[in-house]
Amino acid sequence: MELKTLKTIASRSFTLLVVLVVACQVQAQDAKTPYPSMAPLEQYLIADRNAEIALARSAAPNSISQDAEVMVFGRNGYETAVQGKNGFVCLVQRSWMSGIDDSDFWNPKLRAPICLNPPATRSFLPLIIRRTELILAGRSKTQMFEDMQAAVAKKELPTPETGAMSYMLSKQGYLSDSAGHWHPHLMFFLPLTEPAAWGAGSPGSPVVGVFTDTPERLSVFLVPVPKWSDGTDATMEGH
Amino acid sequence: MKRNILRTIASTSFALVVMLGAAWQALAQDTKTAYPSMAPLEQYLIADRNAEIALARSAAPESISRDAEVMVLGRQGYETAVQGKNGFVCIVERSWTSPIDDPGFWNPKGRAPICFNPPAARYNVPLTIKKTELVLAGRSKAQMFEAIEAAFDKKEFPALEPGAMCYMLSKQAYLSDSDPHHWHPHLMFFVPLMEPAVWGAGLPGSPVVATFTDTQERMSVFLVPVAKWSDGTDASMDQH
Repeated sequence: MELKTLKTIASRSFTLLVVLVVACQVQAQDAKTPYPSMAPLEQYLIADRNAEIALARSAAPNSISQDAEVMVFGRNGYETAVQGKNGFVCLVQRSWMSGIDDSDFWNPKLRAPICLNPPATRSFLPLIIRRTELILAGRSKTQMFEDMQAAVAKKELPTPETGAMSYMLSKQGYLSDSAGHWHPHLMFFLPLTEPAAWGAGSPGSPVVGVFTDTPERLSVFLVPVPKWSDGTDATMEGH
Repeated sequence: MKRNILRTIASTSFALVVMLGAAWQALAQDTKTAYPSMAPLEQYLIADRNAEIALARSAAPESISRDAEVMVLGRQGYETAVQGKNGFVCIVERSWTSPIDDPGFWNPKGRAPICFNPPAARYNVPLTIKKTELVLAGRSKAQMFEAIEAAFDKKEFPALEPGAMCYMLSKQAYLSDSDPHHWHPHLMFFVPLMEPAVWGAGLPGSPVVATFTDTQERMSVFLVPVAKWSDGTDASMDQH
């Protein structure tokens, strides 16, 4: 999800994103990417469970992630590693949360830590889990998207709940080969919404991007923020 | 609106907000403020209509505000000065959009430029217009809030839609008497009443530095400071 978002709409103030937009417009196909198909599962796993917990928690300030549920990715999908008590859920997304045209869709290096707030936990986490289940069941990328679209149509998956948002403030994230950890940012989940309704991607707008995911019928708006979860400054002009 | 928010919940990284939060917690009453009652109307007006239009537009980047409807305050209330075509509405709010306990509720220097996105405009602009009508009709602060609450009970206002948000990126804003008067450029997100903890608002290190839960208006407002003013200049996050 996040990875495709980065490639969708960009502010002029983010040169990196402009480059990525161009890349997106090219609609790179699997055959043209370094990652044409799924790598061996081992490459998507993090051997050290504690390291994955720490990476997941790095998506948000400690004041939030210390009380969050933490899920880790294993051979059978995501499972709860740490029980939470504030309603947030932190986990490390893998590459298949990207969009169908994303050249990093099967990039095994990809690690996208995210902490979902309670409404997002109820309405977006099920999408992450379902996608992952389908991938682990051996579904192709195309099949997975078809399955997701069908599940949404049958209302087997929730629509974004009011107030659903997430933190992605990890300096240790790896969101794509081009972007690295990109910028610390918040994401806001909405039912399908035109980018213009938030001024997303307009020159000078702090809402630098939006991703409108047609299979899952939601829009995700991105707002970079000044600091990483560890309190260090993010250099907004660095890219 | 803005001023109240600043006084509600604060992140430890924003000393100014902490200070204002303490002021809020003191539940200052009118009699203890420098602005115990409404000043003469002239003090709230901006004589130069074009200056008010420009100030309203300064709430958002030009790419958004140039196509927005712009409303200005006159003796009869807010009126449309410029027709828009992108659904945004830019307006300079005055002090009476603050909450009832705000010591700056009648501060005639208050100027809060704000550009509402289309869903927020449909909800918030009628509120601001109604409040202003009541104030200009001579209603007291308490009467104004009673009337707003009654209007909500009668469902006279539209429902809050998903995705309601606004831009407050004006370096020319005057949000409180505390220096700097413009605080930080920020976005505000409007949702139905919601606990601050649901967004991690006000927790140490959180970029959601504050929230305001407005019981009269039946919504919560979350604030997220951003890096740049509408003119593209950097905001120094650590100065305050």
